[in-house]
Amino acid sequence: MIKNNFFSWIFLILSSLLLLFILAPLTGMILRTGGSELFETVKDKEVQQSIWLTLWVSFAATFFFAFLAIPLAWILARKSFPLKSIVQGIIDLPVVLPHTAAGIAVLGFISRDGFLGKAADIVGLSLINNPAGIAFAMAFVSVPFLINSARDGFASVPERLEKAALTLGAGRPRVFFTISLPLAWRSIMTGFVMMFARGMSEFGAVVIVAYHPMIAPVLIYERFSSFGLKYARPASVLFILVALALFIFLRLLSLNKKETVASEDAQT
Amino acid sequence: MLRLKNINKRLGSFALKEINLEIPEGEYFVLLGRSGSGKTQLLELIAGLSSPDSGEIWVNGRNVTRDKIQERKTGLLFQDYAVFPNMTVFGNIAYPLHSKKLSRDLIVRQVNAIAGEMNIKGILDRYPHNLSGGELQRVALARTLVNSPSLLLLDEPMASVDASLKDDIRRNLRQLNRKGLTIIHVTHDYREAISLAGRVGVIHNGHIIQTGTPQAVFSKPANKFVARYAGIRNFFRVRFRLTSEGWKAFCDGTIVFSLSGNHYPDEGLLILKSDDISLSESRPQNCTENCFSGTVTEIMPCEFGMELTVDAGEIFYADLPANEFRQLNVEEGSEVWISFPGEAPVALPGSG
Repeated sequence: MIKNNFFSWIFLILSSLLLLFILAPLTGMILRTGGSELFETVKDKEVQQSIWLTLWVSFAATFFFAFLAIPLAWILARKSFPLKSIVQGIIDLPVVLPHTAAGIAVLGFISRDGFLGKAADIVGLSLINNPAGIAFAMAFVSVPFLINSARDGFASVPERLEKAALTLGAGRPRVFFTISLPLAWRSIMTGFVMMFARGMSEFGAVVIVAYHPMIAPVLIYERFSSFGLKYARPASVLFILVALALFIFLRLLSLNKKETVASEDAQT
Repeated sequence: MLRLKNINKRLGSFALKEINLEIPEGEYFVLLGRSGSGKTQLLELIAGLSSPDSGEIWVNGRNVTRDKIQERKTGLLFQDYAVFPNMTVFGNIAYPLHSKKLSRDLIVRQVNAIAGEMNIKGILDRYPHNLSGGELQRVALARTLVNSPSLLLLDEPMASVDASLKDDIRRNLRQLNRKGLTIIHVTHDYREAISLAGRVGVIHNGHIIQTGTPQAVFSKPANKFVARYAGIRNFFRVRFRLTSEGWKAFCDGTIVFSLSGNHYPDEGLLILKSDDISLSESRPQNCTENCFSGTVTEIMPCEFGMELTVDAGEIFYADLPANEFRQLNVEEGSEVWISFPGEAPVALPGSG
């Protein structure tokens, strides 16, 4: 009993140190930022635009890539095929790449010489220094989070539920939309929020693809390198507060959505 | 009704081999087998969840081997019922009706009708996590039956319910069969087969070993595996000889069985059902053959009373009803006499 208590105390102390390591810099930054500075930053049009750009581009990248990521996640969870482990490795590759290297890779792909850049050029669109290019850079480094989380969600849905639905006369699409997707919904939403958050915080890849228009992480870096820590801090605090509020909102929305899906299916 | 012709299916290192089976309309067929014997895979093949590598599946005179699942008119009840957790009971039962694109009114009427039949009308708005095992089973059955299947496939339907619910389920299944529904029921429990089946089949290692009425299969098992499945524990490797006193079976020179049959191979396995053995404290009167003295080595409670293990040179297992056991007044270490009629020992065909 005493040993158990001692063991628990050691773990508690180690855990607290880690939490302190995460919270201390954030708290310090918030405490060192004066109310008037923060208020001035809220009114700053450039900051407002960069935060708004970051949010909507990251959200759009997550939303559109979800249409590709969710089917891939389902295939990975349900099907066996040759070289499946290699495909899984490819999906995880962007997570382990240095982000500047990822940015260079994306730049090569979306520049006028690249495959996507040429295609965009045909319709008169340049992806460099464009929100679309930023979205590609964000998606490149963050889409593994959505794929992996959704894949785990689909894998946790008992296959016999899908089989039961098939024997009850449902076609494959109906089984997917009424059984697999609702039951994997929580994991998919977790992956969605993770991808959105990861995309929003991306700096290395985005700064190579598009310095302008400036997303919040680039703006914070620019203020830091041009004016110093004091000027970068209020923008950082504001960005963190907005991001936090948004995640809480998305979390609540994902929980409500799960209940809604359940009740819609329950009705005739 | 259902005809399986030379079905073969490989699943990794396991394979269903040369499955041939014919089940007439309205029959209650029980397929017995241990876990991993291939019985669930066979049900999934019939339902259309997988396709055979070779062979044909015919339902109602139509070759459905390559038909879609949705076109087969078979209902499959899964072992743990597979009730959709994200839908209410109503949503679950209405699920197959939505696939038929019926009107809302018709769906409500059909769901209410089947819920009334299955006695689950009061729980239509509840979610599965709030239901008992018996309720889940009835919901799953209602959901399958509302689709009007011509063939009902049951995968171990009593494996997940406690003993008190088994009688209810048996009653429900018998009623459905009496109404003309053809049922194929897979289980590992031979008692389930005896209580429900019109005919049984025994499957082992992906191969159907024997089919027939429960009485025929369990009284004349085709081999040792089927005999063990029927709960028979007395097996003796013997040499058969025709003597001046009739057929005898010699077991390692210690025990000699007297047999009432006419034809036996040179050697083989002899089986003896535990409940065919009588026990007494002294040698039974007028008993000249098939009675041996031995020592009781173990007494264990069993479903119908007590099971006694008697060492009489060979080990015999005998089942006694509780009242007979009390009258016998024996304990472990007691000397007893075992006896059985000449027709009780049965030679296993093909065991020589």
